[in-house]
Amino acid sequence: MQNELLQLIRLDLIFEVFSGIIALIVTIYATKAYNLTGQKKLSDLSTGFLVLSAGMFGRVIGTWYFIVQFGLTDPSGELLFSIVTIAYGASRIMAYILFVVATRPARHRETMDNGILNGNGISLLLAATILVDPNLEVIAILVLVVVVIQAIINYMSTRSEFAFFVLLGFFLLLLSHILVAQTLQNPGMYLSSQLTQLLGFLSLLVMLIRAGRVE
Amino acid sequence: MRILADMMRAIQSEGEEGAGPTKILYTANLSHDRLTQYLEELVEKELIREANPGSENRIYYLTEKGREFLREFVRIERFSQAFGIEI
Repeated sequence: MQNELLQLIRLDLIFEVFSGIIALIVTIYATKAYNLTGQKKLSDLSTGFLVLSAGMFGRVIGTWYFIVQFGLTDPSGELLFSIVTIAYGASRIMAYILFVVATRPARHRETMDNGILNGNGISLLLAATILVDPNLEVIAILVLVVVVIQAIINYMSTRSEFAFFVLLGFFLLLLSHILVAQTLQNPGMYLSSQLTQLLGFLSLLVMLIRAGRVE
Repeated sequence: MRILADMMRAIQSEGEEGAGPTKILYTANLSHDRLTQYLEELVEKELIREANPGSENRIYYLTEKGREFLREFVRIERFSQAFGIEI
């Protein structure tokens, strides 16, 4: 079971690394745009993606370090894990609040029937309890709903393909948080949420590539 | 920044012929004083070059640096608009 959990976390961290790299690319692009135009909102956007990518890399390094250092069962490791999880959740909320500003117009364990869980299910549930903070997820969802609404308004007014990819990206990020929030009821949702998050960032990457093509 | 880009687009739209001050003035919707000030700035930054300086038949051409700047501006404009940010 320990090995299954480690494999799951490894996969989760690989997804997170790719998402973090894309967030960093968006940061670089937004910073470049801010330097050229001096538009404050681009600076907020850049800071938002920087905080997001820093949180992601922090989580990857922190999670990996504490697993290697303390293992998954050590009580001190568990405490440090929850610190990493809370710091990560807080950094994401901070980033999403910055997105709201930039794009404006202008633990509780569920009692489960273990009988229905196989080894993989137990690993997923264990991962969910150490990698997810439900309270922070709810706040993140609320903030992201605002971001998505603003992205919808922007897409409806511009109808540009670039605005569509941003809307799709933010929507997938929101969906990933909704899936995470359901992880304690359905542990299988955890990896799906990480995959959805990666797809969201890939959508932003597609937007960057297409916007970069000048005829 | 947008005004400078609009002026450069006006010059670019004329292609090899280059654009005179009147064409740029109407496209960028500027007063004469402002136009002179911005043209000087663009020439100084080597984004455009001026033919027949001082005469009535002044023509402005986009330099290679200007073309590259305009390409970069278009990328940034698309990026900003994608997030609903006006520049």
